[in-house]
Amino acid sequence: MAAFERHGLDDARLVAMLRVMIQQRTLENRGFALNRQGKIPFASASEGHEAVQAGAAMAFERGKDVLCPYYRDLGLALGIGLTPYEVMLSLFARAADLSGGRQFPHHYASKRLGIHTISSIIAAQLPHAVGAAYAMKLRKESGRAVLATFGDGCTSEGEWHESLNFAAVHALPVVFLCENNEWAISTPLSKQMGQPDVAKRAVGYGIPGVIVDGMDPIACYAAVAEALDRARTGGGPTLVEAKCYRFLSHTTDDDDRTYRSREEVEAHRKNDPVPRFERLLVEQGILTEAGLDALKQSVLKEANEATDAAEAMPYADPATLTDNVYADGHAPWR
Amino acid sequence: MAKIDTKAGDALDKRGLTDEQLRAIFRNMLLQRQLDNRGFQLNRQGKVPFALGSEGHEAIQAGAAMAFERGKDILAPYYRDLGLAIGIGLSPYEILLSLFARAEDHNGGRQFPNHYSSKKAGLMSFSSILAAHIPHAVGAAYALKMRKEAGRAVLVTCGDGTTSEGEWHESMNFASIHKLPLVMLVENNEWAISTPLHMQMGQPEIWKRAEGYGMPGKRFNGFDPIETYAVVKEALDRARSGGGPTLLEGTCYRFLAHSTDDNDMTYRTREEVVEHRKDDPVPQFENVLLRAGVMNAADVEAMRKDVLRETNEATDAAEAKPYPQAEDLYKNLYEGAWQPWQ
Repeated sequence: MAAFERHGLDDARLVAMLRVMIQQRTLENRGFALNRQGKIPFASASEGHEAVQAGAAMAFERGKDVLCPYYRDLGLALGIGLTPYEVMLSLFARAADLSGGRQFPHHYASKRLGIHTISSIIAAQLPHAVGAAYAMKLRKESGRAVLATFGDGCTSEGEWHESLNFAAVHALPVVFLCENNEWAISTPLSKQMGQPDVAKRAVGYGIPGVIVDGMDPIACYAAVAEALDRARTGGGPTLVEAKCYRFLSHTTDDDDRTYRSREEVEAHRKNDPVPRFERLLVEQGILTEAGLDALKQSVLKEANEATDAAEAMPYADPATLTDNVYADGHAPWR
Repeated sequence: MAKIDTKAGDALDKRGLTDEQLRAIFRNMLLQRQLDNRGFQLNRQGKVPFALGSEGHEAIQAGAAMAFERGKDILAPYYRDLGLAIGIGLSPYEILLSLFARAEDHNGGRQFPNHYSSKKAGLMSFSSILAAHIPHAVGAAYALKMRKEAGRAVLVTCGDGTTSEGEWHESMNFASIHKLPLVMLVENNEWAISTPLHMQMGQPEIWKRAEGYGMPGKRFNGFDPIETYAVVKEALDRARSGGGPTLLEGTCYRFLAHSTDDNDMTYRTREEVVEHRKDDPVPQFENVLLRAGVMNAADVEAMRKDVLRETNEATDAAEAKPYPQAEDLYKNLYEGAWQPWQ
């Protein structure tokens, strides 16, 4: 077995990353299950993104950095501190949700954690991320950075290009993390780009570009940590591309069997990051089989409790429909 | 840096161009400069509302125009492409009709000055909006591919500023995925109106973006019309024969203000302009042709006079033409007499 490179992560942090990965998968599958039970309207899928998200979240500095995620970033949200209960409130669209039950499921926002609210519109978050990084630069808030994430499909949007270019011109403290899962809903990478490596675009902007194994959380941590450190210390933006895979359909409203083969999905399953990282930690003696089992039980218990607690909460009162939309009592349609 | 690469005494590498073609390129460069300056003069005389400056772009445009195949290729230019327009067949008279906004202009006097279009020449009408024409060019190339019209290609041009637009990126990406017959020629003159290149991009070489799209990219001296011809021809040949798109970057310089409505001394120094003037492509190429014996001093003098005469005649003829009639305001807008606002 090759030498184990832990990139400065101690045992506790390695186990914490695995916990986030198991938590992400459990809550992710819970979203699909609740949808099939008719209890929630919609959920988006992130299976296969556990490693890149747990690794990136470990590099994120809570209370300092800002996260501009996309709708497939359940693990990033959990990794930087969103609770399973908050995730469930979002899925159930309850009044106690951080967005008041008004956002799409899996579109989190948290002022406390530094998560920008998310738009479903592909690439809409990137100009926002760059704007936040520009503000940090203008306010001379050194030691802070913005982490912006997106899928491979997003890289074809004009806003993506404009954002990377602007960030490069002004050497802004932002890290662009592409979670390249090879599918943009039903569009395969071969129909998305003329060549398969998003990171190769970095040279055209004059910023560093890095390709990393997105199924390896330690490698993802190292790549994102290096990029965030550079951003926080005035070194400008970086484009990191993590190669991963989307195991499930795009969302609960999609059927991937209409556009890709089972064989393709099964072939990628052999590289599933969750069992891969579980095995690694057990083999390295960082976690025992019993410890792993206890971890899984604890995550499941937490997910169950969060589900029950969120489901028991009320929906938003229709009388609050225009709350936070207009200043006190102003109803322009009247 | 922007010197034409010919060593004294060496035979000129004509890259397959005949002496007649070399003289045609030089004449195009002289004519572009003459018409360019005429636009500014007429504006200062109060005779035309607006004109754009293309001084410094003569070599890249005359070279590219020589690689363009009239009657087959399609040109989707931008507003600084006077030399490309005349190089593929627009007459000085047509240019002046555009500047004077006369009724007989291809666009009926309704387009911006220096915004040409010509079905005959294969020149697509264009918008002043940066990058707006690039999806159009890609669409035309997509049509060529779907209709299996082999042997044809689209030449689309823009300045360095346009490369920062989202449409530019989306167009390059789409063209590369579908291997479209397209050549993207960027005329990098270092200034996007008042924005210098270092405020436009994080690194100064546009061709380096090609690899990210999976297409060939090349940078060349846009002050050298022979080099430009060879590079653009290679890319157009590849596009015409199914080899997909190419991103080309020709380095040049904008000697004048952006347009007659701009004063470049508010944002760049006289010294910078004077420094680049030392490499002015028009006298440089004149010397190349003289040294190579393609022309002698008397030939050059006669050509200059001929270009001036043609420009003067075109100016007088266009100026004498009438403006569009007010009652033609809605002509070509709606079918028949349909007026939806009535």
